[in-house]
Amino acid sequence: MNEMLTLSELQLLIRDSLYLSLPDMYWVKAEITEIRENYNGHCYLELVEKNSGDTNVKARVRAVIWNNRYRFIKTYFENSAGESLKAGMKILVKVRIEYHEIYGLSLAINDIDPAFTIGEMAMKRQQILKKLEDEGVLNMNKEIEFPFIPQRIAIISSRSAAGYTDFMKHLSGNSNGYVFYSSLFEAPLQGSDTERGIISALERIAGHIENFDVVVIIRGGGSQTDLSWFDNYNIAYFITQFPVPVITGIGHEKDLSVTDIVAHRSLKTPTAVADFLVECMLNAENYIIEISNELTDRSLKIIEQTKEWMISAKMKLIPLARIMISGFREELSSTLVNMISTGKEYVHRAKLIPESQKGRLSSGMRSIINNSGSLISGFSQSTVKNSKNFILSRGKTLAGYENSLKILDPVNVLNRGYTITSMKGKIIKDSVELKEDDQIETRFRDGTIKSRVV
Amino acid sequence: MAKKEFSFNQAVREIEKILRDIESGEMDVDKLSVEVRRASELIRQCQKKLRSTEEEINAIFKDLA
Repeated sequence: MNEMLTLSELQLLIRDSLYLSLPDMYWVKAEITEIRENYNGHCYLELVEKNSGDTNVKARVRAVIWNNRYRFIKTYFENSAGESLKAGMKILVKVRIEYHEIYGLSLAINDIDPAFTIGEMAMKRQQILKKLEDEGVLNMNKEIEFPFIPQRIAIISSRSAAGYTDFMKHLSGNSNGYVFYSSLFEAPLQGSDTERGIISALERIAGHIENFDVVVIIRGGGSQTDLSWFDNYNIAYFITQFPVPVITGIGHEKDLSVTDIVAHRSLKTPTAVADFLVECMLNAENYIIEISNELTDRSLKIIEQTKEWMISAKMKLIPLARIMISGFREELSSTLVNMISTGKEYVHRAKLIPESQKGRLSSGMRSIINNSGSLISGFSQSTVKNSKNFILSRGKTLAGYENSLKILDPVNVLNRGYTITSMKGKIIKDSVELKEDDQIETRFRDGTIKSRVV
Repeated sequence: MAKKEFSFNQAVREIEKILRDIESGEMDVDKLSVEVRRASELIRQCQKKLRSTEEEINAIFKDLA
């Protein structure tokens, strides 16, 4: 019982019993909290298991990927997941338990299952998206009206990034000669500073927002394909609340990060973003040309129509006026002729009519005149075509008056056996008008005699 | 300063309105010439906006950098 062990003997004992009781390799899922590559190509990690729902650590262990495995695992993982291994990532790894008398327990990683990480990242992405959707902000940046000309551009990138140089080259060297104004707001586009850096850049832009039409977040493609930095709730939320459209070109061929999804538009590369902006300008110019052509066409059409209208009005108006004038003239002259001849006859005959009939005659005449007057005014309102009917009806009216005149004709009275007595041209109706020695004229059917009153 | 600034969007909206008015067919020739003159001035300014650098904006962007 007094047997004593050295520390190393104890450690070896522990190691041997561990290897005996846990001789196999085990698939373990865990989250990376720390990861670093050693100068000699070994990769050291710290793995944890957290309680679901909070960040308290339930278990923690050191792990290592020896350089002979690491070369393979690193390449395989990056090619499959499109991501490099990094802190915060959940992984499924095949491990062997190792125990070292100085360094203690660690897990030697022998294999990795990228599909697990892809699934975990997708799930995390979905969770962020769902949260944004539940908050009703997911599409807010997309709903901003895109400016006609995205001419003043705030760029979030890194000055040294190849993507930034390409972007500027495409933008300022555009073959259409469009003018752009741009300002760079530098931010790291990978690593744990990404969130803080991008949000800070957005805040600086927001301070001068009246100067910008659009924000672009660009990052060179190439080997750097880590997208998961952009699967970030805070960056995404900030973009949804941003008052101008945000366009991303963060260089990923296959997948969209949450940042891409909430942005107004996401394109694969920085040059694609530049080309898109140039295309917007081109579309705006084409629209201006189109609308200006439309304007010219429309205006010319109106002028043409007005001209045609004036010509046709002139052509219609002159003959129409001629027809109307000649119609009126004819009407007037025939009215005059009729009136004069009828009037003459009437005047002539009136001399022969007893005084008692004169009143009737003159009222008849007035009526003729009135009638003619109203007929003339009727003509002036009617068309030339109608005037013929008026002429006809007026002719009938005149014929009617002629008939009445015939009945009143004194000749007819004399024919019926009456005589007309007159003195000094004045018709005598009452015998008391005459006194002794008055000389009177008596008109018979066939002649006149003179006699003296006794 | 922002008040007097030429807005491409506003200019396009105004040109569109003039076009609509002309299309409505209720514009006489006198008014037409006034509106067309206005529209062509706006179009000229729009095209200028696309291609010529405004020193004022350049200065602002220099300050931002």
